[in-house]
Amino acid sequence: MAAIASRTSGEPSTGKPRVVVVKAKKALVHGYDADRGALRAMLAAGLVALTQQKDAVASLSKLVRPAERIGFKINGLAARQAATHVELVDEVSALLAKADVEGRQQIAFDRFARDLSASGFSSRLGRYRCVGNDEAGHEEELSQMPSSASRLSRVLTSQVDGVINLPVLKQHMLAGMTGALKNNFGCIHNPNKMHVDRCDPFIAEVNAIPAIRDKQRLVIMDALRPVVDLGPAYQAGMIEVANTLIFATDLVAADAVGLELLEKLRARHGLPTLAKAGVTPTYLATAAKMGLGVCDLSGIEVVTIEV
Amino acid sequence: MMVSRRDFFRTCGGVGCALAAGASAGSGLLRAKPAFAGNVPRAYPARFWKKLGQKRIECELCPKHCQVDDRERGFCGVRENHDGEYKTLVWGQPCAIHVDPIEKKPLFHFLPGTRAFSLATAGCNLECKCCQNWDISQSKPEDVDFRFMPPDEVVRNAKDYDACVTFTYSEPIVFLEYCIDTAMAARKAGVRTTMVTGGSGEAAPMKEALKFLDAVKVDLKGFTEDYYQRLCKGKLEPVLKTLEVIRASGVWLELVHLCVPGQNDSEPEIRAMCHWVKTHLGADVPVHFTRFHPEYQMKNLPPTPNATLVRCREIGLGEGLHFVYTGNVPGLAGENTTCPKCNKVVVARRGFEVDEIHLKAGHCAFCGATIPGVWS
Repeated sequence: MAAIASRTSGEPSTGKPRVVVVKAKKALVHGYDADRGALRAMLAAGLVALTQQKDAVASLSKLVRPAERIGFKINGLAARQAATHVELVDEVSALLAKADVEGRQQIAFDRFARDLSASGFSSRLGRYRCVGNDEAGHEEELSQMPSSASRLSRVLTSQVDGVINLPVLKQHMLAGMTGALKNNFGCIHNPNKMHVDRCDPFIAEVNAIPAIRDKQRLVIMDALRPVVDLGPAYQAGMIEVANTLIFATDLVAADAVGLELLEKLRARHGLPTLAKAGVTPTYLATAAKMGLGVCDLSGIEVVTIEV
Repeated sequence: MMVSRRDFFRTCGGVGCALAAGASAGSGLLRAKPAFAGNVPRAYPARFWKKLGQKRIECELCPKHCQVDDRERGFCGVRENHDGEYKTLVWGQPCAIHVDPIEKKPLFHFLPGTRAFSLATAGCNLECKCCQNWDISQSKPEDVDFRFMPPDEVVRNAKDYDACVTFTYSEPIVFLEYCIDTAMAARKAGVRTTMVTGGSGEAAPMKEALKFLDAVKVDLKGFTEDYYQRLCKGKLEPVLKTLEVIRASGVWLELVHLCVPGQNDSEPEIRAMCHWVKTHLGADVPVHFTRFHPEYQMKNLPPTPNATLVRCREIGLGEGLHFVYTGNVPGLAGENTTCPKCNKVVVARRGFEVDEIHLKAGHCAFCGATIPGVWS
């Protein structure tokens, strides 16, 4: 299933990409662990609102096919305290299984095995495989971009047919913010070379690589407890509990809505806007200009749900 | 005279000679395996960094001054923050090891006809679009095959090959702790040490390394900030500062300028560069103008025409530099060392082979003029 087709399937006829923001009253237990019951309710509400299907399983069936191998691109950089919640991926995995994408067809992946492990992702639990790019390796052939060149993760190129992008919403001291677009830096071998100039145009160009772009099926942004400053690492005192998940099939739109939330949380925390802090995430506009999605909020249909 | 790349390989002397660019990870005692998976590099304490608080550190090794969060790496990809302590992931872990002729570096005024036990680790603090060794320089340690070779073992190997130690191929600045420790061990053992670098480093760590180095070859990749920023993700000014630091240290220095067609080979740029070299470093610092071969992200350009190299050499000589060479084109005029006083050839070369040496204790055998360099 092509990414473009999935992007429009079930979405409203306004022509605008839809982004669904689902907020729970309480989605966390014991500090940073996520409440599985709350997550199930949030996933059901978000997926149905995004795709206009009868339930979450039917929604996922619109986005992935039974025979497909699905990768969960998580963000495990900051370990358990600020990584994609493993409980969230577990619940998405369970829904996928009901949509006939069995656990053995699912892989959670990120740059390093140690990051997966530190974030609670382990193949030993038997739900789905967890593979670091350092274990699977990268393609030898370079993917050329206008401003750089990279080798792609072999997990991405040969072990999955589609990707569910599960970033964590965070302020990023170099890029401005990190969300769905930047999460795909974890699909290349050399993101360290691309953090100059606010990662612009590198993030956009990486997301325009066909092998990355065409496999994006769905974004579920983990904004349960975003890092509002001094990111992307976990910093004590820089977490704002938001109990929120953001659903979209347009990565740029997902990030634009995530950015709006991040700015609100920063204001609540007494922090200046990213622009005033000198870290405007300019790569969003670049990605939009490259046709990867919509970053202008007026061009996005934002649906907000409380569960 | 046109010499094909294949012909050039045939003319290369020495052991482990591979690519005309003077550096290759493609063959040798240890071959880099791009896209290698499963190697776990060991972490050693890094030097040249400071704490910023909240586990964030700032690297002070090079002008990028990367501010690195816990569990993250800097631009080079080989130095990592471990819980607020900076570590190097490449100390003692070379991914390319060769024995090359010293002429391949190229160092033309440093023990001609001898060998260099050459080694590199993964990583670089630049990203040159024409990099000949991108498969190691643009990789992280775990992306390539490497072996553990501590300084003492490097020195033993160099002695076995009757060679000096040379840090080369990728960027020694990013594995400077390993360079310094190895160079210290080498000096104790009476083995010379040289470095081939892009020169994009901070003065303090470079001065620390220079205490134990015997020669440095610096790639002066261009002479405009635009070139460095656009094609190397770096800056020119810090490189020029490094050159002055090296020259002031008294360690033997040679320069290479890879002539990339239409990018850094204009007459004004070459003239300005040669003028700067003469006025800031002195006329005796050798400058090599070498041929570019399409690689990495610049496969769309042709190789440097011989005429360009010849013209660059003429400009250098015209600006008053005493030793200006052409490189990567065996047989092209400009490979020999000529006495600036009597104009006779004192070191005759073809490719990486030395045919004749007419020097007596660092002086021209014909007229007695001093020929600067390290000759014994």
